[in-house]
Amino acid sequence: MPVAHELSRAAAIVGAAESNEIGFTPERGLRITSLQHHIEAIKNVSDYTGIPISDIDGVFSAGWSSELAEHLGLRPSYIDTTSVGGCSFQIHVHHALAAIASGIIDIALVSHGEAGRSYRGGGGRGGGGRGEVSPAELATAAYGTFGAPSQYAHAMVRHMHAYGTTPEDFAHIAVVTRQWATLNPRAVMFSKETDPNGGPITVEMVQNGPMIAWPMTIAHCCMVCDHGGAVIVARPEIAMSLRTNPVWIAGAGESMGHSNMVEMADFTATSAARSSKTAYEMASMGPQDMDMAMIYDSFTITAAITAEMLGLAPRGKGHTLWKEGTAAPGGSLPINTNGGGLSFNHSGMYGMQLLIEAYRQLSQTAEDGVNGIDGKQTDSQTCIVNGTGGTLSTTGTLILEA
Amino acid sequence: MAYNKPVPRKGQHHEPFWEGAKQGKLMVPRCNDCGRVHWYPRLICPYCHSMNLRWDEASGEGRLYTYAVQHRAFGGWGEEAPYVTGFIDLAEGDRMMTVLRGVDASKPDEIQIGCKVRVEFEKVDDETYIPFWRVVEE
Repeated sequence: MPVAHELSRAAAIVGAAESNEIGFTPERGLRITSLQHHIEAIKNVSDYTGIPISDIDGVFSAGWSSELAEHLGLRPSYIDTTSVGGCSFQIHVHHALAAIASGIIDIALVSHGEAGRSYRGGGGRGGGGRGEVSPAELATAAYGTFGAPSQYAHAMVRHMHAYGTTPEDFAHIAVVTRQWATLNPRAVMFSKETDPNGGPITVEMVQNGPMIAWPMTIAHCCMVCDHGGAVIVARPEIAMSLRTNPVWIAGAGESMGHSNMVEMADFTATSAARSSKTAYEMASMGPQDMDMAMIYDSFTITAAITAEMLGLAPRGKGHTLWKEGTAAPGGSLPINTNGGGLSFNHSGMYGMQLLIEAYRQLSQTAEDGVNGIDGKQTDSQTCIVNGTGGTLSTTGTLILEA
Repeated sequence: MAYNKPVPRKGQHHEPFWEGAKQGKLMVPRCNDCGRVHWYPRLICPYCHSMNLRWDEASGEGRLYTYAVQHRAFGGWGEEAPYVTGFIDLAEGDRMMTVLRGVDASKPDEIQIGCKVRVEFEKVDDETYIPFWRVVEE
């Protein structure tokens, strides 16, 4: 039985790809289903790596694995359909690492397809039986919250109370993340041409936007649009034989604090402290060893708190990474180099987008390798990737190494 | 005016909560073995995993843990937006959500985390009363 540190580098991400059209696809006259996003991304990652789809023996997705395997005509030896929100895909990679290291499978597919805007609510699958009442309903249903922003705003207010932070402090996260999006032609907010609200923004523009849930204006909140993506995880012998550059899974961890926010003990802390501790220990690395970070930014506060939990900044100081330019293009710790869930793409569950960008940065195939845009490729050798699912509920952390 | 906002469905095992609410009492589950109060109601104590639970009347007092102002809302709540939501630390322990009363949603900076709150009940129908929390004098 392998112990955790023996899992380190026991498998690699060998390729990553997206579906053909992502973002606000309806405006382009398309209405692509979540399944189509899955299948296009799977076909693209197969073409990219040269791994035939028929060689896949493990299927991982957020609720879709049975349908996907059937659609592809696969008879997998490992089926994992963990669906715990946006961090599901970090957790899939963790599980795939364990399944490969233990010898059960050789090649794992992790797939995401979510027409979050075109077919709202159709991305994730699973859940309880029809007609049954969760006892948590008694604690939540009557109290006037509508979706994620209405809940996350409470965390920002608690952070402001605990640490003296201000909404303007968090607005810097939106501004810097937008700077990255202006380097990524696939980002929804790349420019005024890709979206009327696209292009560079300032703290004043963020703060003067429409209020969603005080203290969060709309630019503190991620988008909801369409995306498909897939990565393939393979054992070392296969990873070394391919035409693509492997990105090694040096560390992985997962944990959770709660499901409903009413059960969150400290609104300024998430289980990323635990999931990253496990990942760092497996990798024999620490925060100081990270060249860049991909942090789920469902909201600006999510990114700030997560940076603190990952040890990239002291408690109460997560926002300073953005405010002081550390996380910005040209900074010493680039964060969310694709433009984030705030400005690149967020389909409801954003964990796959994190994985794809981390793979592209570490495999040296990020946008400027393709499009010749200066500054997009960070030349990083290490990246910590942290997904957050639910309402600051569940986390999966990966430490990836070129 | 008829109550026009979402009402929790009445799940199994929660009759004492709804009966108490009719009488203006906030009923919360307490573990007979470890003595701790938990919210929302469980089938098993989330602290010691005993299934020996009872319902207790809470003091109806608490403190504001955090809050936000909801500007985007729908249905009955849409008519009231903006309004303040919050999380309440119960005097007995654990935490409840609420729409917070006795505060001005247009002045969120004036709301004090840690302020004293007391429960009150709003009638939906003769069988259904819902607890909300109001900021009160210290």
